[in-house]
Amino acid sequence: MAAFTYAPAIVLLPFVSFLVALFAGDRMPKGGALAGITATGGSLLLSIWVALTVAGGGYHNEFVYTWVAGVESVTLRFGLLLDPLSALMLLIVTLISFLVHIFSLGYMNDEDETGLPRYYAGLGLFTASMLGFVVANNLLMAFMFFELVGLCSYLLIGFWFREDGPPSAAKKAFLVTRFGDYFFLIGVVGIFATFGTGLFAPITQNGEVVAQSFPVLAEHAVVDGETEAIAMLDTVGLSAQAWFTVLGLLVLGGVVGKSAQFPLHTWLPDAMEGPTPVSALIHAATMVAAGVYLVARMYGFYAISPTALAVIALIGGFTALFAATMGLVKQEIKQVLAYSTISQYGYMMLALGSGGYIAAVFHLTTHAVFKALLFLGAGSVIIAMHHNENMWDMGGLKEKMPVTYWTFLSGSLALAGIVPFAGFWSKDEVLYEALIHGFGTEGGLGTAYLVAYAMGLLAVFFTGFYTFRMVYLTFHGDARSDTARNPHGVRWNVKGPLAVLGVLAATVGFINMKPVAKLTGAHIDFLHAWLAGPDEGGWPAALVTSSHHYEGLLHDVAHVTAGYPLNETPTLLASAAVSLGLALAGAGAATALYRGSDPVEHTDKLGSLKTLLMHNYYQDEYQVWLATGLTYPLARAMDKFDQGVVDGVVNGISSVSLFGGSRIRRIQSGVVSNYATLLTLGLVLLLAIFGLAGGWF
Amino acid sequence: MWVAALLAVTLFGSAAVMLSPDRYAGKLAAAVSAVPALASVYMYYVFLTQNGGAGNALLSPGEVAFGQQIPWIDLAGYQIAYYVGLDGVSMPLLALTTILTTLAIVSAWTPIDERQSQFYGLMLFMETSLIGVFAALDFFLWFVFWEGVLIPMYFLIGVWGGPRRKYAAIKFFVYTNVASLVMFAGLFALVFNTDLTSLALPAMAEAFRNASGLPTIAGFSLATISFVLMFFGFAVKVPVFPLHTWLPDAHVEAPTPVSVMLAGVLLKMGTYALLRFNFTMLAETAQALAVPLAIVGVVSVIYGAMLALAQRDLKRIVAYSSISSMGYVILGLVAFTPHGMGGATFQMVAHGLISGLMFMTVGVIYNTTHTRMVGDMSGLADRMPWTVGIFVAAAFGYMGLPLMAGFAGEFLIFQGAFDAATLGSAAPVLTSLAMFGIVVVAGYLLWAMQRTLFGGFSLETDYEVGPAAFHDVAPLAVLLLLVIALGVAPDLSYDMIQHAITPLTGGGA
Repeated sequence: MAAFTYAPAIVLLPFVSFLVALFAGDRMPKGGALAGITATGGSLLLSIWVALTVAGGGYHNEFVYTWVAGVESVTLRFGLLLDPLSALMLLIVTLISFLVHIFSLGYMNDEDETGLPRYYAGLGLFTASMLGFVVANNLLMAFMFFELVGLCSYLLIGFWFREDGPPSAAKKAFLVTRFGDYFFLIGVVGIFATFGTGLFAPITQNGEVVAQSFPVLAEHAVVDGETEAIAMLDTVGLSAQAWFTVLGLLVLGGVVGKSAQFPLHTWLPDAMEGPTPVSALIHAATMVAAGVYLVARMYGFYAISPTALAVIALIGGFTALFAATMGLVKQEIKQVLAYSTISQYGYMMLALGSGGYIAAVFHLTTHAVFKALLFLGAGSVIIAMHHNENMWDMGGLKEKMPVTYWTFLSGSLALAGIVPFAGFWSKDEVLYEALIHGFGTEGGLGTAYLVAYAMGLLAVFFTGFYTFRMVYLTFHGDARSDTARNPHGVRWNVKGPLAVLGVLAATVGFINMKPVAKLTGAHIDFLHAWLAGPDEGGWPAALVTSSHHYEGLLHDVAHVTAGYPLNETPTLLASAAVSLGLALAGAGAATALYRGSDPVEHTDKLGSLKTLLMHNYYQDEYQVWLATGLTYPLARAMDKFDQGVVDGVVNGISSVSLFGGSRIRRIQSGVVSNYATLLTLGLVLLLAIFGLAGGWF
Repeated sequence: MWVAALLAVTLFGSAAVMLSPDRYAGKLAAAVSAVPALASVYMYYVFLTQNGGAGNALLSPGEVAFGQQIPWIDLAGYQIAYYVGLDGVSMPLLALTTILTTLAIVSAWTPIDERQSQFYGLMLFMETSLIGVFAALDFFLWFVFWEGVLIPMYFLIGVWGGPRRKYAAIKFFVYTNVASLVMFAGLFALVFNTDLTSLALPAMAEAFRNASGLPTIAGFSLATISFVLMFFGFAVKVPVFPLHTWLPDAHVEAPTPVSVMLAGVLLKMGTYALLRFNFTMLAETAQALAVPLAIVGVVSVIYGAMLALAQRDLKRIVAYSSISSMGYVILGLVAFTPHGMGGATFQMVAHGLISGLMFMTVGVIYNTTHTRMVGDMSGLADRMPWTVGIFVAAAFGYMGLPLMAGFAGEFLIFQGAFDAATLGSAAPVLTSLAMFGIVVVAGYLLWAMQRTLFGGFSLETDYEVGPAAFHDVAPLAVLLLLVIALGVAPDLSYDMIQHAITPLTGGGA
């Protein structure tokens, strides 16, 4: 199909804009911004075309490039997998990236930043890498672009390299995610060694499978006991399911790093050192989203492992709560948003772990919109505030910048989960899935779900609180500084993207209004239909990536079962009511504490808890200690050992031979009679030896 | 004929450069070395397109490309010949040698300011020997070139080096020479116990692979003893822990263009010889000893990386990280799988390019700042943007960033070693341990970059810092392009490598 023929251009266009901006950006108007806007705009249009083709029942899974042609060994290729999941993600990434490019005109160009070609080159490469990751049809290609995404985050977080903070934050972001990627890489190598392929979905020709995918092979091995195609099992001495769990958890290492889940979340708040549009891109659509997307992409592999599911759900639930509590006390607007990002991705992990594949993709979509909006809104505020990010210096911006205020409010209502804004629908579905599967599933997995659900539910209250604390401190009350009294104006290039996203944040939840669908019986849960596909034939049969299939696996293999404390519809409504109530309670508490013309800090009332929260539970401290307090001294000690012992032995041997040489040299005395004596003695000795050996005596 | 021409051009060119005035020596040497560089690119192209020598030079000598065999000496019943030829292993290494020599010579224009004609003459003489090492298929000829590399290297470090150059040069020379002696003893113990009539490497390979009834000494088969002695001899060159201590000293004292050759090509002599001798001629013994050898490789990876973490001198950092990178090669070789051994060979080429690039970049910075110490300078990105941009790219190449050559080499090694039959159930564990190197390497390179390249500008030494000259940056750009080209399309080299490697491995992952 024509759209699929042009699909590689979705990735290549931003890559071209990277090259153009890098090498010709300083000779172009706007420092290469126009190239980036054109490229991402083109990618967006192509992505829409792809999405429309997919909506018409099209799908695509083909190799496009052979990276390493194996001779008597596994061949490694690049290919494109275009199905509803990747088509949706393409839309998200290209749309956010396009808007971020436009916003950057206001945030970077209008502020007379230097190094614009480098900035736009970075954005272009970042977008291209993420798009390459999204369309990847196999795990190795996904890993490679995943790493390139990491490189781009390094380059962009460290954009302002002349200061001390950004290079340090960039280093930390790359290093912490690299630590996660270490496990991911073992997982990739292990999956290739085990299955001989890293394909996410089977490749079919005329209805025949010509290359099987690893999730399907794993499924056959676990469900039907077909282990002929599975290598490695004898080597590791594990059952198929246990080994697949190990592999799944290894890959999860990369997910935890990139999606900033506990305990590898520490890089993300530091990453706020980067330019704010970059933060929007990283948090909404690219790097952080990559981790969660990967789990969704190979969900069939996780759906057959109850242990992996429990781990994902618990990490997600815990991170959602843990990060939300840290967001309560932050003073800088971007810090609040940073912790909210960690928390929101926790919800997606919770959904994936507890069998809510659609809920996770739904929340990924809505979050992309409202988090991009909130970051860009914060960026607008930061421009207005002359790059002062402290909320206690703001206040009263509501009247001065109405477009920013109303759009930011739309994003905040979505984040807090207030009906009918986007976040309400998706967060509610996440919690609902965790709840019913917690009730229905037996044994440890069910318990894990209920624990994770409880943590996620509690986090709703905190989310409502920190979101509205942020809104009140930033926009309401009296201005608390001179810059807030006379904010810098922003132009169309800032307001335009905000308006687009503001409308979307209010409406994008309507793609999957499950409670309304249940109540009215109308088929308006469009995302459900999008990800499930037709019941017979079509892409679900060919690619085996439909949510129906995943639900079957969850039920049959992992025994994830839905259970309802009330009947189905009442449970759904009660769950929605509880999470909405908690969100409103959180928002109400923030209103009570921070409303009014001159709000005061209440965090001192938390006592020692405040210190703990301000220090982010000392997570940074122990990780920095691991690097500088443990690894570095160990390296120094090894260096001492190397210099002293290993090299000491080498020098010792040479000293011994030099010493020996100097002693033997004394024989060379230069006195002729001595030499004559030695000669005679030598001759006698030789004769004696020959005599003894030859038997002359 | 082609190989002979390369040897002749560099050898006579070396003499001509030595006799030329200092003023022109650098330019002349670059022009001379461009001939073998361009010629080897053409040979590479012919090899690639005509698939000449599709096989292993030692196992199927009839298929070698650019082969030439002329009887030379008849020594005590052993036929010695001028016998050269290339296969998929030696072709990429030969091209690496000639290209890197030219670039190293150009990169020497700025820092080398005394006795230029001798310096460049020795560089070209070293190139002759290196070409010979990779092309020779007769042991005697090979050994002449092998030892021939030491002589120019000794003088290049000892005359143009840093403050402790004499110590470093002598240490390098004695250490590697003793190693050669041990290797020689191990090899000839085998030669004398088989009925060889020729010292051609293919004949040796056939004789050793089929040797039966070898004597045993103290319960060990002579094959095992010879293997260990030869491994020791070559491992010094690689270098492998704990035989590596000559390397940091040599690197720190050597002038940068010499470091480029040392890290880029000379270390590969060790792994190349291991592949040709230990892992081809004594393949069965190598497989039997796979687990301890893999442990040596893994320890080298982690040990080298940890030591790199402790260094402040940029050159020492790269030197120790070379030990780490070469440890991967050992792991890949012992796997005896196509991707393991093939990846190891690819890694030799990839690391040759990347470490050469890294040393060259450090050299450009040193030429400008006259210090290499992390902490003595910061914020260089502001003053020399292109150099720093290439530094960052090279560092990420070193960290194994995908679509750069290092990733391909490392990934293939990991893939080949992860389920290697030779390592049994230890394979996934040892491979996973080795992989941790990719985290540590990111640690020390990112740390060094943050300290030296970024932040506000400051410099302890008293020099003016500005953008580097074109002829300083151009070799960096060429190398970076090669690194990216091999990362995007590894098959440019990996295809021919695999054809030469698979006869050794007999299938598998």
